[in-house]
Amino acid sequence: MKGARLSILGLTLSLPPLILVLVFVGLPIVIGFTFSLGFTKGPNRIISIIGQQIHVKDHWWGTFAAYSDVFHDSRFLGDLGLTLFVTLLSTILVILMGLAISIYQRLIRSKQASILVTLAIVPLFVPVVISAWAIHTFYGGDGFLRSFFSQFGINFPTLTSTSSAIVIGSVWTSLPFAILMISSGMQGIPDALIDAAKDCGAPIIRIVSHILIPLAKTPIIIAASFTAIGILGSFTIPLFLGPNQPTMLGVEISNFFGSYNRPQQSLVMAFIVFMAASGIAILYVWSNVKSAKESGRI
Amino acid sequence: MRTFLSPTRLLLNFAVLLMAFFILGPILWLAAHAFVSGWQYPNLYPSGFTLSWWSKVFVDSALKTAIKNSLILSPLVVLLSMVICLPAAYAAGRMNYWGRKIFMIGIFSANSFPKIGLFAAIATLYYTLNLMGTFVGVMIIQLLGTIIYMTWIPAAAFAAVPRNLEEAARDAGASKFRVFRTITLRLAMPGILVAIVMSFLASFDEAQGSYLVGAPSIYTMPTEMYSLVQNYPIQVAAVFSILLALPSVLLLGLARKHIMGGQLADGFQLK
Repeated sequence: MKGARLSILGLTLSLPPLILVLVFVGLPIVIGFTFSLGFTKGPNRIISIIGQQIHVKDHWWGTFAAYSDVFHDSRFLGDLGLTLFVTLLSTILVILMGLAISIYQRLIRSKQASILVTLAIVPLFVPVVISAWAIHTFYGGDGFLRSFFSQFGINFPTLTSTSSAIVIGSVWTSLPFAILMISSGMQGIPDALIDAAKDCGAPIIRIVSHILIPLAKTPIIIAASFTAIGILGSFTIPLFLGPNQPTMLGVEISNFFGSYNRPQQSLVMAFIVFMAASGIAILYVWSNVKSAKESGRI
Repeated sequence: MRTFLSPTRLLLNFAVLLMAFFILGPILWLAAHAFVSGWQYPNLYPSGFTLSWWSKVFVDSALKTAIKNSLILSPLVVLLSMVICLPAAYAAGRMNYWGRKIFMIGIFSANSFPKIGLFAAIATLYYTLNLMGTFVGVMIIQLLGTIIYMTWIPAAAFAAVPRNLEEAARDAGASKFRVFRTITLRLAMPGILVAIVMSFLASFDEAQGSYLVGAPSIYTMPTEMYSLVQNYPIQVAAVFSILLALPSVLLLGLARKHIMGGQLADGFQLK
């Protein structure tokens, strides 16, 4: 009897955030999806009046006309390619850097290790608009790098407004969370395991590949999925650092919604990014549930 | 052996230098601009030093309004987020009720949608609800970004409070409320503190959603940056950046110990 009473209390307590999320995340996504399919009545009435190039459904289930618009736009394909490329490359770089620093910190407790971790946390202290603008000026035409190299007669390339700058900015802003997740996972591995392997004469590489990485697998996957989802939907970093064309989908979604006033096509792109992100989110949930099962928590 | 500069040590020191350059370089470069009169390529040194840009920021009414908006919005958002989420976090951390896991994963998946797409979808609905360009509209956008911090991190903190301490206090005759206040809440406090700091920053630094929904009628400090960098000299943007970064540096400085101590990382693992 006690369990039943508690469960009602528990459910009641969790209702407020749940309702907020349902009304302002779930509902807009469902309504937005119907709008992308050409449902222009009801809650979509006003946006359909304001927006341009609105396609109205011609079947009971809607129409794919807005989707076809987007996929026949050569700009979109360039944007999609750049978005996937930047997300993949930046995530790999962030996880590799996170692994290198965390493993080093776990195996050798030195001053350098703690300086490295502290440095990697610094971007957490800086709002993303500022970091994007700081990186913009640092790597820009009259930035520090070019000024510095010109002292030696070297004409260093301007990185701002290239996809390299987006990668630099994405890595810069994503590093703290990845480091915090991975290094906390590594710190949780008992010394005894590592010492035992050392006593048996296992080389460092084997300790890393057979003990550290497998035991910290869940935090590594959480870090990777959070990083990838964050970069996939990023806006400020590619806006300040990337080229005008092609640009990342985050910027294009905002352009289509605001400047071009084509909200339907904007939402179509949003759903394409959603699809990519949910694939990553499933990986996260699966890894989390699996590790909870292994340790007997569920 | 340690005192000699072995190749590995040299390599390590080089890695630290490279990292310091990569992370700190851009911030220092921008911050330095707040104090210079001009800086022409390819000179490594500015043409002169001045504090005149600072008075420009405090005189400009648009910038002042943005600062005021941010300072009102963010504390309100955090307070609202605490009221809405902390009871749920307590339930998720302490009670094993049916649907707890679905709740946690649901909150997470709400956060896993790419932000800008979600904001476009919300804006579509906002037109119908008449929330476009309103204070409440921006507040809800910022509130959404805090929910994951305010549920997941305190839930983990509440779950980590040892039950036997509470039972011992009950046995010694403490009331339920007293046990909650002096033991449960106190031990969970570092986690709640981290959640408050992260939520405040999530709200204070939120730019893309606030811009899409708030501009051109409501500007906050980060959304003001978008127009600032286009319409003002770089020095003004630098001054404004320092002002905007100040709360983050202060708050994270206060909570640094707990954040690096694993409260943040623990908070994001399903338990």
